Amino acid sequence: MKPPFDGVDPALCPRDPNTGEPLPPRKQPGYYPGFSTISQSPFWDEATREVIDKRVKHPPERKFFSAEAWNFWTSVFAHLIPQTDRAIDRQIPIVAVLDHRLAINKTAGYRYESMPPDRVVYEIGIEAIDLEAVHRYGGKFLVLPSADQDRVLQAIHDGRPEAAREIWKRMSVHRFWQMIMGDAIDAYYAHPWAWDEVGFGGPAYPRAYTRLERGEPEPWEVQEQRYEWLPPANTASAEVDSSQSHHTESGQHSLLDRLSEEAQQGAKR
Amino acid sequence: MKKPLLGAFQLPSSKKHMVGPLQSIHMPMRRFREYEEVDYAIVGVGSAGGVLLQRLARAGFNVVGLEAGPFWDTEHDWVSDEAGSHELYWTEPRVTGGSDPLALGANNCGKGVGGGSVHWAAFTPRLHRSDFEVYTLDGVGADWPITYDDIKPYYEQLELEMSVAGPAYYPWGHPHGYAYGPHPMGGVGNALIKGCTALNIPVSIGGPVAILSGSHGDRPHCIYRGFCIQGCKVGAKASTLVTHVPDAIRRGAELRDRSMVSRIELGKDGRVTGIHYFDIDGHSHFQRAKAVIVSGYSIETPRLLLNSACPGHEKGLGNSSGTLGCYLMAQAGNVVMGRFDQPVRMYKAPPAHALTEEFYETDPKNDFARGFAIQTVGPLPVAFGKQLLAAKKAWGWGLRREMMDYNHWAAFGLLGEILPWKDNCVTLSKDKDRFGLPVAHVSFNLHENDKRLIKAAKEKTEEVMHAAGATEVVQEARYAHLVGACRMGSDPRTSVVDKFGRSHDILNLFVCDGSVFPTQGSANPGLTIQALAARTADYLVSQGERIFTSNERNMKTSSMRRELAPPEAWGKGVPRLK
Repeated sequence: MKPPFDGVDPALCPRDPNTGEPLPPRKQPGYYPGFSTISQSPFWDEATREVIDKRVKHPPERKFFSAEAWNFWTSVFAHLIPQTDRAIDRQIPIVAVLDHRLAINKTAGYRYESMPPDRVVYEIGIEAIDLEAVHRYGGKFLVLPSADQDRVLQAIHDGRPEAAREIWKRMSVHRFWQMIMGDAIDAYYAHPWAWDEVGFGGPAYPRAYTRLERGEPEPWEVQEQRYEWLPPANTASAEVDSSQSHHTESGQHSLLDRLSEEAQQGAKR
Repeated sequence: MKKPLLGAFQLPSSKKHMVGPLQSIHMPMRRFREYEEVDYAIVGVGSAGGVLLQRLARAGFNVVGLEAGPFWDTEHDWVSDEAGSHELYWTEPRVTGGSDPLALGANNCGKGVGGGSVHWAAFTPRLHRSDFEVYTLDGVGADWPITYDDIKPYYEQLELEMSVAGPAYYPWGHPHGYAYGPHPMGGVGNALIKGCTALNIPVSIGGPVAILSGSHGDRPHCIYRGFCIQGCKVGAKASTLVTHVPDAIRRGAELRDRSMVSRIELGKDGRVTGIHYFDIDGHSHFQRAKAVIVSGYSIETPRLLLNSACPGHEKGLGNSSGTLGCYLMAQAGNVVMGRFDQPVRMYKAPPAHALTEEFYETDPKNDFARGFAIQTVGPLPVAFGKQLLAAKKAWGWGLRREMMDYNHWAAFGLLGEILPWKDNCVTLSKDKDRFGLPVAHVSFNLHENDKRLIKAAKEKTEEVMHAAGATEVVQEARYAHLVGACRMGSDPRTSVVDKFGRSHDILNLFVCDGSVFPTQGSANPGLTIQALAARTADYLVSQGERIFTSNERNMKTSSMRRELAPPEAWGKGVPRLK
């Protein structure tokens, strides 16, 4: 029998709201216990089955990142989409998917004029994050305690990094954040284990969905069974902010740009 | 484990090229030699190119369609998966900028036969009468060189060819009905009905959407699996890949896939002589043609014409007006998300299945011209995660937690008309693609009317979401549907092509795709693009050989030739109201 927190620091795990005690990692977090999209793969068409089977069983090998860069981004992505509530053998590979994307130079099909090419973004991004870490906490990102790492990333999320100004002149803070979070989401929520977590039914060709209304599950899906959980105590990423009312795309950025300008002016003062 | 009802779903024999599970393409198709002078070379086999290829082949012309992407075999190449569908989108490099930069890539045109029509959600409302005379009515934007009545027969015809499902009575614009029955509702549609009904706003349910509600010809009906914008393996959703290309090939058209057109060649007599292109191995070729039609969509069409600049056309081919690349439009496409106490499961049913056009027209009570529509959208987990990232600044634990409630959210998209502005434009970037060709630079800026319209549309959509019973409402700003940048008009000084898509400057060069729109309304452009293509094809057929030789520009409108439609689309009734 494995110990409940096998290989995971309990302080980084979600907590029970009543007792405040850390919750041991689960094979399947989320509100759909026992639901498994992969169990339905005999009902999928062959091409879909192959693609998803490969994703689960054969994540790509490291090709693009150096070992150091791989370790660095593994650490960063552990904050962008934390997985300490997942059993070690059920954690979803993110950096492997990103590494493969950069290795084959797969892009979204465009580059913002305020951004360098994607491969450069992931190169100078390391330096930018490290400079911010040193500026705030006196050490490079990898050596900082988890809570400080969280706050370094939070500063970039907020659009107010205080260091690495030369780099942020070449690369929009906001677009950088969108890119790394976008890559994290692309890898995590493309995985069948994440579909099980959020209750997404997955592929349904050629069988079809038949229960369209009232949010009812298909006979092979399961009813939601909610439970209460709190994020780990020291995380900066638990809060969401939907208070800003943005009408336009530029409006969506203006807050961040403004904060960024203020931070830069503050640094000058 | 229960056995699947029909046995395991194996791929069909790899010898057959399948478009949808029932339709196979008979290979080999006709091949023209490069030194043969074909009648028409069509650049881009997407929404417009597919219709043109089919119509011109059926009329007996020698026609070749060059497509930068692959000729999809849907059973082998397509999957029911978000991440696995990346190849459907145009992901060659581009640069985007301006004060409100547009996301490109998956957000607009496609790469492969069928183009964007393989990954659209398939909403097919018509433009309204007022859309054709925006300048006359409101003093903003531009007028079209054609009227609603010019395009109406083509709307009716293409609704049959795509097999648009919709209500028997559609009340907005020019009221009309649909021959194919509307789709049943999913959770998002129910939310839109509930919200609109509570606010006394009329709402159309189950369409109009170019997805089969009943099987038709060799296309099966929808199975409600929700992967419309990942390419419809089912073949229920219309794309020219399944609706027009098979008929084109049967009728002797050639489809040359994985062929990237780099330049249109101009002869000494001021007429185009053919096109240069690169094959999949990067080898350069030249196809001779008596006439060229560019159907590459709003970015690649102006890019090709700009890259084809030559002596006498230094600003780009057919750009004597200086407006090539200008007046690019995108529709405001803000997504409004609402959280409900009860599960919605928005991944079921087509993302496109209910809408209201109640706010479409200019309203003197507003502080802006023109209007908007409100439509259902049904983002799958990856797309929804990114929307939460933008709308709630969610990351880390916050994002994980919000996403666990994925099944409690419904999403509406507004579709708002943004006016044509000269400074919204496609130009050539310093960046080069793999062939050494300058890539497109897209610049986009919102103007005062656009901002006011978006604000009002967003507030109305949020109001509907609240009225539907959502306990939390958030939104993400985004855009949809690029059109314009090569606009049609009567005046050669302010437009690139005439009302048939013919270049004002060069008599055997045509443009036919969404780039010719002078204004865009707040209707999804797909139906109008295909209707215009059928109309242009009728014009070309009526002109016959004169297109290739005559220096005369005949502006007489021809009558519609129903016999050029794919055979399954003949003789179906269209409910006519008024």
